[in-house]
Amino acid sequence: MTDNDNRAAPGRLSVAVLGAGLIGIDLMTKIIRSHRLDLGLVAGRDEATSGLRQAARLGVPVAAGGIQSLVDVERPFDVVFDATSASSHAEHVEKLSPLGTMLVDLTPSRGGQMIFPTVNRADISAHRDLSMVSCGGQAAVPILHAITAAHEIDYIEVVTTAATLSIGRGTRMNLDEYVDTTQEAVRRFTGVTDVKAILNISPARPPATFRVAMSLLGKDLTTDSLRSLVMGAAAQVRSFARGFEVKACSANDGKGFVAVEVTSSGDRIPRYAGNLDIINSAALLVAETYAADRLSMAGVVNS
Amino acid sequence: MIEATSPDVAGGKPIQIHDPSLRDGHHAVRHSLGADQLRAYARAADAAGVPVVEVGHGNGLGASSLQVGRARLSDDEMLSITRDALTNSKLGVFMLPGWGTTRDIENAIAHDVDLVRIGTHCTESSLAERHLGILAERGVDAHAVLLMSHMASVEQLAAHCARLVEFGATGVGIMDSAGHYLPSDVTERITAMCAAVDVPVMFHGHNNLGMAVANSIAAADAGASILDACARGFGAGAGNTQLEVLVPVLERVGYRTGIDLYRLLDAADIAERELMPAPPKVDSISIVSGLAGVFSGFKTRVLDISAREGVDPRDVFFELGRRQAVAGQEDLIVDVALALRGSGPGGQS
Repeated sequence: MTDNDNRAAPGRLSVAVLGAGLIGIDLMTKIIRSHRLDLGLVAGRDEATSGLRQAARLGVPVAAGGIQSLVDVERPFDVVFDATSASSHAEHVEKLSPLGTMLVDLTPSRGGQMIFPTVNRADISAHRDLSMVSCGGQAAVPILHAITAAHEIDYIEVVTTAATLSIGRGTRMNLDEYVDTTQEAVRRFTGVTDVKAILNISPARPPATFRVAMSLLGKDLTTDSLRSLVMGAAAQVRSFARGFEVKACSANDGKGFVAVEVTSSGDRIPRYAGNLDIINSAALLVAETYAADRLSMAGVVNS
Repeated sequence: MIEATSPDVAGGKPIQIHDPSLRDGHHAVRHSLGADQLRAYARAADAAGVPVVEVGHGNGLGASSLQVGRARLSDDEMLSITRDALTNSKLGVFMLPGWGTTRDIENAIAHDVDLVRIGTHCTESSLAERHLGILAERGVDAHAVLLMSHMASVEQLAAHCARLVEFGATGVGIMDSAGHYLPSDVTERITAMCAAVDVPVMFHGHNNLGMAVANSIAAADAGASILDACARGFGAGAGNTQLEVLVPVLERVGYRTGIDLYRLLDAADIAERELMPAPPKVDSISIVSGLAGVFSGFKTRVLDISAREGVDPRDVFFELGRRQAVAGQEDLIVDVALALRGSGPGGQS
């Protein structure tokens, strides 16, 4: 891909997506609309896959050489979104970081700085390898962070349900990493050590909307307090994931229960696939925030 | 020693009995079995010559949770107590990817487990690919089981079984997790599965519609060579296939289990006395759960939440069936109860 001109337009960052599965392709459709990011390449490993063909049809440059396609470029990308597999992410960091590329990791690899845009936005520009954790993590952590800031919590459980059609092979092979990384993120952002994450895949038709159910043990939990904290955090998340909705919120006898559902809105993915929407919308916001920070530091007037 | 085998049919076709009383039974007692209980039953099953004794939280390794119920004992405790109690029987465990992880499997291997079952919802066999591969590499006998199997077609089940063997499964099977099947359903499915694979095929019944023993015999006649059964039927909902009934019935129709009848009956008496407040029965809720095709293990949660929200638990089961809830989706019960009660999010409970 040495003939690929991935120079971004003035005031914008050049970006690439590595991985052409369900996550990579939804991310591509979101990046195309961005006013701060120029999508220079979608790299997969097999030209015959539907993901790369879809990208090509939209006029996006594609490559089938995997990570090497991003290394063999005249001008390195400013940002690469890693939508491959948890076990590959470390190698991608190793190859791209020396080129000055920032990585936004969509795999549950747990390598980089975990980012939840409404919780620790300030960490974005201070790190070069940013982890988006998991779809369940993106939905749960903002809510749990708000609750644990106000209540003494002894135990947290996060049960995610995603429709089978929205779960690609990468995620299916990464269930262990999904569970471990989601748990670790909840621990780090709540200070609660006793944490459990569970993932269910639903084959229901019509497909089940992406859902995250959170159970908490804490003596001083009340429905009123929980409701106000949860609704506040949810409103913030809705600023970038419009389909984020609180479906249940109650406390009873020292046990709190919160369920949220996320629908995707306005993209090529179906409405039920809120799992793709929330992690990709968060990743997009992270890259745009980095773009804004970088351009303002460089003294470029934002367009 | 009185063999369960009657003399005229001795030497019949062998069937392997797999006993998950100490795992599925946990669903019936809110995962509360203690050390003495595990030890007493495991010793009794071992003495009877039950080939495999499975132990664990009701949803398997790593599944202790508010969602399904928190186990009284850790996986470590359950595994070491049961391992120590078994001299001849093999030790089995169960794991659902997404609930337990490779770390839990490694831990079970460290406890010298003989057989690991990896379960997935019946249409999601690909979720087992990684863990079956790891077990194959480690040389551990690994069976794959499809849960809630009434939710897939005969052809789908056969195709998923074939894939599971490609992933490394050394045996495959189906669970009638909702107790929904009739014998003809089982015959059709097991026949198709046996035609699709060349590894042992397993059937695991529940008794919601009173069909568990008949379904298990149908499975054996269709070619299944492993049957699950629990003492007094100790298991989720209306209970599993009743072990001490299944074994002599199998022998009467010409199969050979190698299990000692009197000691098996003793083990069942011990189970009734030591493990459960009362044996599972086909109560009204279990019938509805079987008809609705909802996971039997939901029963205690549905009853708790329906009582709290003041709704009819039968309505909750039928609505869960309509929403095609899979095993593990217990968090839906609250939503369904609130929806039936007619209140939205944040309703007082």
